[in-house]
Amino acid sequence: MPSRRAALKILGTTAAAAGLPGGAAGQSNEPFDTAERATLESIADVVLPAEIGDTARRDAVRNFVRWIRGYREGADMEHGYGHTRVRATGPSPARRYPAQIAALEKAARARGADTFASLPLDARRSIVEHAIADASIERLPIRPDGGHLATDLMAFYFRSATAANVCYRARIDRDSCRGLPGSEHAPAALASDAQNPESARADA
Amino acid sequence: MQTHESAVCVIGGGITAAMLAQKLNELRPGTSIIVVEAGRKLFDFAARMPHRQRNLEYGENPWPGDFVADQAAEGIISRTMAVGGSALHWGGVTNRFSEEDLTLRSRYGLADDWPIAWPELERYYCEAERRLGVSGEPSPLPEDRMSSPYPMAAMPLSYNLRVLKAWAVKSGIPFWSTPQAKNTKPYDGRAQCQRCNTCEICPTGARYSPDFTFQRLLAQKAIALHDRTLVRRLVPDARGRIAAAQAVGPDGRPVEYRAGTFVLASGYCWSPHLLLLSATPAYPNGLANRSGLLGRFMTGHAFIGGQIELDAKLYPGMNEQHSLISRQFFRCADDAPFVRHDLRVWESSAGRDPRLKDASGRLLLGDALLADWRARTARGAARVRAYYDIHPSRDSALTLDSARKNRWGDPLPVIRHVADEASRARELATHAHIVSVFERLAKANNGKLLGTSRGTYLDHPSGGCRMGTDAATSVCDSHGRTHDHENLFVVGSPTLPTGGCTNATLTFVALALRSAEAVARTI
Repeated sequence: MPSRRAALKILGTTAAAAGLPGGAAGQSNEPFDTAERATLESIADVVLPAEIGDTARRDAVRNFVRWIRGYREGADMEHGYGHTRVRATGPSPARRYPAQIAALEKAARARGADTFASLPLDARRSIVEHAIADASIERLPIRPDGGHLATDLMAFYFRSATAANVCYRARIDRDSCRGLPGSEHAPAALASDAQNPESARADA
Repeated sequence: MQTHESAVCVIGGGITAAMLAQKLNELRPGTSIIVVEAGRKLFDFAARMPHRQRNLEYGENPWPGDFVADQAAEGIISRTMAVGGSALHWGGVTNRFSEEDLTLRSRYGLADDWPIAWPELERYYCEAERRLGVSGEPSPLPEDRMSSPYPMAAMPLSYNLRVLKAWAVKSGIPFWSTPQAKNTKPYDGRAQCQRCNTCEICPTGARYSPDFTFQRLLAQKAIALHDRTLVRRLVPDARGRIAAAQAVGPDGRPVEYRAGTFVLASGYCWSPHLLLLSATPAYPNGLANRSGLLGRFMTGHAFIGGQIELDAKLYPGMNEQHSLISRQFFRCADDAPFVRHDLRVWESSAGRDPRLKDASGRLLLGDALLADWRARTARGAARVRAYYDIHPSRDSALTLDSARKNRWGDPLPVIRHVADEASRARELATHAHIVSVFERLAKANNGKLLGTSRGTYLDHPSGGCRMGTDAATSVCDSHGRTHDHENLFVVGSPTLPTGGCTNATLTFVALALRSAEAVARTI
């Protein structure tokens, strides 16, 4: 029987775990090499909001890499309610990223650049737009599915509780255990967000 | 063969089994009780938070291993098979049925009356609310009066629900906080709700689940719990009493249970299934089936949902699992066309999720996507839903599918729900009525009904071993004692003659608690 103390201990433990940097889960399963990581970060500049600032974008990339690293193939998934079925997670989305990154780099070279990351933002955006069109992606996936690295990064970020806070400019903190007191009030505004988007980076 | 003997053998390890075993132990301390469950124990409380996190991030099963791979039924709505049953995952909603549910035949000339009077059932609702730990706000409707108050104050309405309540009551329909088996204060050794927003796996234990009760009973040495043990047959003796339950244990070896009383607490699917599987030359149509109604009158409630856009700033995610309820439509005037339904309102992000392309098909990246998303959140949205009354026909049946068998060669169940003629005849009118209620809500505050959808299954399924006073038209009496086998009880969901028009778990529990008293009298 979980006491209040036990419950709070578990909450605290998980809160600490959630704040771990990407590498904390182990380095042996690194999904991106240095060059690929640079490409990923330059994709982030295109597909994630400039509004959240560089730090928040880097955080999003780091958390995305952590997510990829933590992906388990063949894990039991929710079997659902209503129309129920037992199913398992598929292959890691990361399996499809090297070819996608290679295609982005090839497109960059076709534009005379050494690397995708070295292209101006507009040129990178154009390449990413073509890549998404070529992959026939019409909707943001629920979570990264390997359709394309760019849309997977977008899905990871924009479907997060962090992005919801940014969208609503409020600390909803959807996925956190927040307690009942205060819930009758509108969530607090993100710090200084309305006046100065730059200062919202730390919250994003 | 390994043999176990006990005074009572409970088959099934879900919420009704937990409640029955707990009460039986209180009524008859020292009685030997064995609970046999096909699924496994998932008692690692500390794992709940990491499982919740994996579920949020990856969609992984928040209760890993909570099913038996080859024990699947066609037409079933949940694969959960573990100690705790579906109530491991449940949202904790604990609505009561109403007096009308028990008197459909005498009041409206529809379906059948239940063989139990409302004041009696109401007593057991109070007991169920106390045992589960229900936090609730009493209904303002006089017909819903309670003989005991909820044990805890209602879950506070979040900012979103306060806004939605102010909106919804403008329609003239009263709404209040939905009762739930969630602690609004520390209760029964469990913590207060921390608003984690993931009630399907409550990481704090604030939402009741039966594993807590089983663990407590095990700690008290009040029961023996045999998990991963599938009962395949009940064996009657020459006098019609159940002599044994034959099972296979975790190692695949046969196990036999001998008991003075057997209680089938395996839910609406696996209870009638086991009785059908247990056919013998003396009982060629299965046990407890003299009426021919075993596996018949499978029921539940149908539902219609909708999304309403309204003039209000909302913040989806504050407490998505909590809702408003109205029981205004539980009653139907005698001189009006029959329609009964509940009415629920939730916060919603429908139509307000981030999207890759705008309405014109333009690709949205970065700031453009965020701007589009923000623009669509300027107005709020509510999710509305009505569970409504439909009644089963005799042909609404669970049968054995000889083409699909488990690893032991036993045919698996198939469930086909068929509404009775009267329910089918009023279906269009019911749909029109409910949509008109949704529209009434929408108009109350310059809102717009964005769309509606009909449920494609019956929720909170029940039936298959319906109770009644006449052995020719029912499987068991109001206590769940089968008419054909004096030491065999069926408890909870299978015994319902009709499925009501609101969440049914509290009713399953209340009936099981009443059954416990009858079981105790056999000891």
